Amino acid sequence: MNIQANQPAAKLTVAETALVEAFSAQIGDLPGNGAVAGTRDRLLDDLKTAGLPTRRIESWHYTDLKNLLRSVPEQVAGTKVSSIAPLVKGSTVLPVLQGAAHADAEIDGVTITAFRDQLSDGSAVAGLTALDKDDAIGRLNGSFVRDGLALIIPANAEIEDVIELQASHGEGQIHTRFPVSFGAGSKATIVERHRSETDAAALVSSISDLTLEDGAEITWIILQQQGAADTHLAQIRVKLGAEAKLRLYVVNAGGKLVRQELRIEVQGEGAELTLRGVNLLGGDTHTDVTLVLGHNVPHTNSTETFRNVVFDKASGVFQGMIRVAPDAQKTDAKMACNTLLMSDDGDFSVKPELEIFADDVICGHGATVADIDRNHLFYLMARGVPENKARAMLVNAFVAEIVEELEEDKLVEPLEEIISAWLDKHA
Amino acid sequence: MPAVQETIDQVRGIDIDQYKYGFETVIEVDKAPKGLSEDIIRFISAKKQEPDWMLEWRLDAYKRWLTMEEPTWARVEYPKIDFNDIYYYAAPKNVTGPVSLDEVDPELLRTYEKLGIPLREQEILAGVQTSKVAVDAVFDSVSVVTTFKKELQKAGVIFMSISEAIREHPELIKQYLGSVVPTTDNYYATLNAAVFTDGSFVFVPKGVRCPMELSTYFRINEKNTGQFERTLIIAEEGAYVSYLEGCTAPQRDENQLHAAVVELVALDDAEIKYSTVQNWFPGDKEGKGGIYNFVTKRGDCRGARSKISWTQVETGSAITWKYPSCILRGDDSRGEFYSIAVSNGHQQIDSGTKMIHLGKNTSSRIISKGISAGVSQNTYRGQVSIHRRAENARNFTNCDSLLIGDKCGAHTVPYIEAKNQSAQIEHEATTSKISDDQKFYAMQRGIPEEEAIALIVNGFVKDVIQQLPMEFAVEAQKLIGISLEGSVG
Repeated sequence: MNIQANQPAAKLTVAETALVEAFSAQIGDLPGNGAVAGTRDRLLDDLKTAGLPTRRIESWHYTDLKNLLRSVPEQVAGTKVSSIAPLVKGSTVLPVLQGAAHADAEIDGVTITAFRDQLSDGSAVAGLTALDKDDAIGRLNGSFVRDGLALIIPANAEIEDVIELQASHGEGQIHTRFPVSFGAGSKATIVERHRSETDAAALVSSISDLTLEDGAEITWIILQQQGAADTHLAQIRVKLGAEAKLRLYVVNAGGKLVRQELRIEVQGEGAELTLRGVNLLGGDTHTDVTLVLGHNVPHTNSTETFRNVVFDKASGVFQGMIRVAPDAQKTDAKMACNTLLMSDDGDFSVKPELEIFADDVICGHGATVADIDRNHLFYLMARGVPENKARAMLVNAFVAEIVEELEEDKLVEPLEEIISAWLDKHA
Repeated sequence: MPAVQETIDQVRGIDIDQYKYGFETVIEVDKAPKGLSEDIIRFISAKKQEPDWMLEWRLDAYKRWLTMEEPTWARVEYPKIDFNDIYYYAAPKNVTGPVSLDEVDPELLRTYEKLGIPLREQEILAGVQTSKVAVDAVFDSVSVVTTFKKELQKAGVIFMSISEAIREHPELIKQYLGSVVPTTDNYYATLNAAVFTDGSFVFVPKGVRCPMELSTYFRINEKNTGQFERTLIIAEEGAYVSYLEGCTAPQRDENQLHAAVVELVALDDAEIKYSTVQNWFPGDKEGKGGIYNFVTKRGDCRGARSKISWTQVETGSAITWKYPSCILRGDDSRGEFYSIAVSNGHQQIDSGTKMIHLGKNTSSRIISKGISAGVSQNTYRGQVSIHRRAENARNFTNCDSLLIGDKCGAHTVPYIEAKNQSAQIEHEATTSKISDDQKFYAMQRGIPEEEAIALIVNGFVKDVIQQLPMEFAVEAQKLIGISLEGSVG
């Protein structure tokens, strides 16, 4: 109650109170110099004043976090977790275990630093700010972040082996950051993976901050496999320089309450974004993928395709806003979001937005929500495939198509395996 | 295509900010004092000789309105409206009770003549127009005349001003008024419920196909007045009616408020077709003046196999905030929305539709064409919601935006919500400018640039124009031409 005494007007929910109390309890223990501590205080103050977002806030219309986040797990000390084999054979694994980074691996030319060191010396402070007044994830993560991994890939470096940032955790709270900068002309493939080892609830907030300098060609794969009781609040911030090419693949196959924000700013002419997403939703879960893509300069391209499958009582959201700035002529942006609704108890909401201030552009979006095509089903069943198997094949094909666009077998095969395994379990 | 040539002529012939309908009619007016209070509502209700239950209904709405907040989610910007600086009631003098055309102030008739609205039945009967249209003309706060009443009565169709209907058909009003847009619905609809002054009432009984197009013409004339009309259309089992609505206002520096409510009820197998050509004063070149158009329009497909179709051509108003919707409650019911929204100058449009699928086998179709020019902002905002029990619901949405010039904005904000596995939803949206290839193709065949653009624009909006009744289609095409002038070439 002593917390509310400072803020007599705002009535905090159980989860909000728990967050505020958790922050008070950690003061002095959270890494960071004076500037970082000051920023943390401000962010938490903002979080306290604004509260967790409700559906009245347009960008949170379909994810009423205040209502959905009923409680916050306590910080658990001494949870032991270990890393597992990487998604792609031969990858260099950089583990983050229960929120603590292990930055001792060596990759030729790549500077790897634990994010806690950047907090301690204050160099992280600029990145800690929230992106806008409704950026609850930015505030939450900025207040509580303890560690993560910071990577610098030098100009023209070509990293052969896949790098896997592997965040494993058990119950409790985990707040991590992954600032990664790719030098001009560099090439690399990175897997960002979030997994849990127990079914006990965890609250995870994670922000990846990607900067692609001119001409960098990067593949970034996010694989979210959190536990059935977990809350996953993530943000991927991306800045694309001139002629930079980013292939961003997002696979969501876990979590109880997931909000994943992709905030991408295309800032250099000739830049190209290929964004693909697969959302596998089952059980009694809520998953929200929100994309805000700014085309800020002329002559940039992007394509976005999302495939969603909804089983059981799952509820899914895709919001995709493409913003074309006044002078960003010759922008070519195409977005598609296709959903298979496999259950009458599940639901899916789509809000693909176009916000266009330049006239010489080609922008479009398409969205469909449907059941499996009966003709396709009939085709398979007429050839002796039992119905349930035929359905599974069609669902698999629907999402696998997206993954196959990665083309490299070493990436496609393990992702397909994960998708198949998930579908076997839920379909 | 002769219509195209006509558009070009219109564009050429008219000076940039020469809003054709910007004249003011000087006429003696009966006004309520400025401002909004319970007394004003009592005054309006008394003027209209309303029964007590109607006054109570209004006062309830007013009390509710006082507790509500103005919505801010739309992509429109305007200075705060002082709701106490508006006249809520203005009526031409000499119009008391029902009138025949001969009793109407000749000045008023001239106004409608200038606007091109056929009020004189004789002329129409004499073949001036090829098809008959019954008109209810609303001037500021009151309905001045309704034509063809007798002929409609023969068919059993009731078409009169809503004030008359409250007096003459209270049982129908009690049953249906507020049953689609409740008094608590939203800020502007609640305000309308408290202060609405007139509007049209249409009742088409069971099995009757309305023998002619019905039409209302709205005009705001007085300075600082708001127009709050309320329209209620009921189509009983198997009935059909097509209704047209047009609007204009004089050219003024101040902004004027228009907050209307339209309710449609379609019972089993009924069909209502509602078409609007909205041409309120859009403000001048600098964005001064113009109508604030905050309208709630909703149709309730209450019966099985009923159908409601909205067609709108929006070229006027400084601000448009309007989402004609369909509640598809009856099984196998169908909703349609066809829209052309043209914004130029400083206009701001935030418009679209809502299709709420509640019944089984319901279907909806949305075709929206937005054209932005000048420094205007044009937003399509639409919701398609398939509820849990809406088995086999279908929706198709297509919204295209065309940008002319690099200072304007075109935005698309669809909300798609599916809660039933058997739902089939398709949504597509595109934004582009007139392609150089198309323009080149037309020009190298000797068509001047301006004409080529008009040709392409007409092609762009064709799908929607085709949905309009013939008389309106020609007018709509002309309007689009006028609205886009100065933005071309």
